[in-house]
Amino acid sequence: MNIDPRTKLIIVLCLSTLAIFIKDILFLSGILLITIMISLFFKVNILQVLREIKRLLYVLLAIAVIQSVFSTDGQVLIGLGKLTILTTVGVQKGLEFIIRIMIIISSATIITTSNSREIIQGLVQWRLPYEVAFMVSIGIRFLPILREEIKDSIVAIQLRGIEIKKTPLKKKLYIYSYLFTPILVSTIIKAQKLSMSVEMRGFRAYERRTSYMVLRMSYVDYLIIFFSFLCATTLAHLYIDQSVLTLSSLKRMSYFVYNSIRLRKFL
Amino acid sequence: MIYPIEINNLHYKYEKDAREILNGANLKVAKGETVAIVGLSGSGKSTLIYNICGIIPHIYRGEAKGQVKIWGKDILDMKLSEISTKVGIVFQDPDTQLFSPTVEDEIAFGPENLCIAREQIGLRIKKVLETVNMEEYRLENPGNLSGGQKQLIAIASVLAMETEILLFDEILSQVDKEGRIKIREVIKGLKEEGKTIILIEHDLNNLQIADRVLQLKDGKLEEFKAGDIIGLHRT
Repeated sequence: MNIDPRTKLIIVLCLSTLAIFIKDILFLSGILLITIMISLFFKVNILQVLREIKRLLYVLLAIAVIQSVFSTDGQVLIGLGKLTILTTVGVQKGLEFIIRIMIIISSATIITTSNSREIIQGLVQWRLPYEVAFMVSIGIRFLPILREEIKDSIVAIQLRGIEIKKTPLKKKLYIYSYLFTPILVSTIIKAQKLSMSVEMRGFRAYERRTSYMVLRMSYVDYLIIFFSFLCATTLAHLYIDQSVLTLSSLKRMSYFVYNSIRLRKFL
Repeated sequence: MIYPIEINNLHYKYEKDAREILNGANLKVAKGETVAIVGLSGSGKSTLIYNICGIIPHIYRGEAKGQVKIWGKDILDMKLSEISTKVGIVFQDPDTQLFSPTVEDEIAFGPENLCIAREQIGLRIKKVLETVNMEEYRLENPGNLSGGQKQLIAIASVLAMETEILLFDEILSQVDKEGRIKIREVIKGLKEEGKTIILIEHDLNNLQIADRVLQLKDGKLEEFKAGDIIGLHRT
């Protein structure tokens, strides 16, 4: 089944909006589960995605710990004298952050099941200027080129007898700074050559351009879009209701405590 | 007489360069003629064709003197987009020329920019793929093709623009033997079609296609003599 890239963009938009909007760990876990199921439906290689996330795990953990450290609410789990290092709320916020990022990354993989030309065309048919859509796509195309450049430069350094893995961190950073200029120069040259090729093929020759590819939404697309909006609003509604419920129960509890204190004073 | 390509006393110096890379180059190419230009590395072969297709002075700046005309019109009076409808250029490295996810999209890019009707683009894609004999790769990702196949797709993408003048900047240098044979056949076919072609070459084997061979030496174009083969190679 060929799903329109615009439908996929709407799904991603719904999922990532929910991930940012919701601050409840259970809700977020549910959304992550839904995201993974949708990704599997679109035949995304979820194991590959998890492998990619694994590379970011240390960064995510570091940010989660920083978030935890700066949240002083809740019960203290680790503390040094008067200094609070880790609290229950901090841990909760850190976990929320990790799940939120996982939702955003997993949902973004849904778009990758369409090729860049289809995505550009989808955006153009949404009235986004072609130049902007093309620029985004070329930018994305350059990421693997940059990665290849970095890999090649590191291999070149290793072939000269430097074992990067065994090098101490300080020296490693020095080597990386040494690589920075050639990588940057070579990437800029490649970008310049690409832009020459694009210009020589009549890019922006006229104000408008025709398109060989034309996207047409089917009834399945409309159905998916309808259900995406429906599910997203239902989840948001459930979350707000639950928050209101928690707030009112908190109010009721504080009223009860207040009355108990007054009763004790009276007695 | 109006020539497709006419260069009169062209001098050119890159912005940060002390010497003139082109020092009074003259060239007249007749309609349907195939001219090969040879020369040592750094002699200014690429600079010369960048001047013909308008990359200089429209993209690269520098000090230029002299005149470059396309069908009698000075390139200084033409926008790059206008030049691109008259002159097609294929570069040395196929990887920096292909950016679309499928061969079909890659070929369609140029005609789309020129506002060609959708049906016409479809016909052009079919035609150029037949010309380069790559019909079965229409929906393939160009990134997955071999060097020679990528270069054939780059040629097809330029052919889809239907320009009368074609410039090939050492297009065989990064291609294997099999790919080179295929590309040579394609160039022969284009020559028979009556296209005006300038071929920048390093390899003497590829000069057989040309009607005329010129050498770029000391910034000037002169007739290539069989004895002047130092720095050039035969594969």
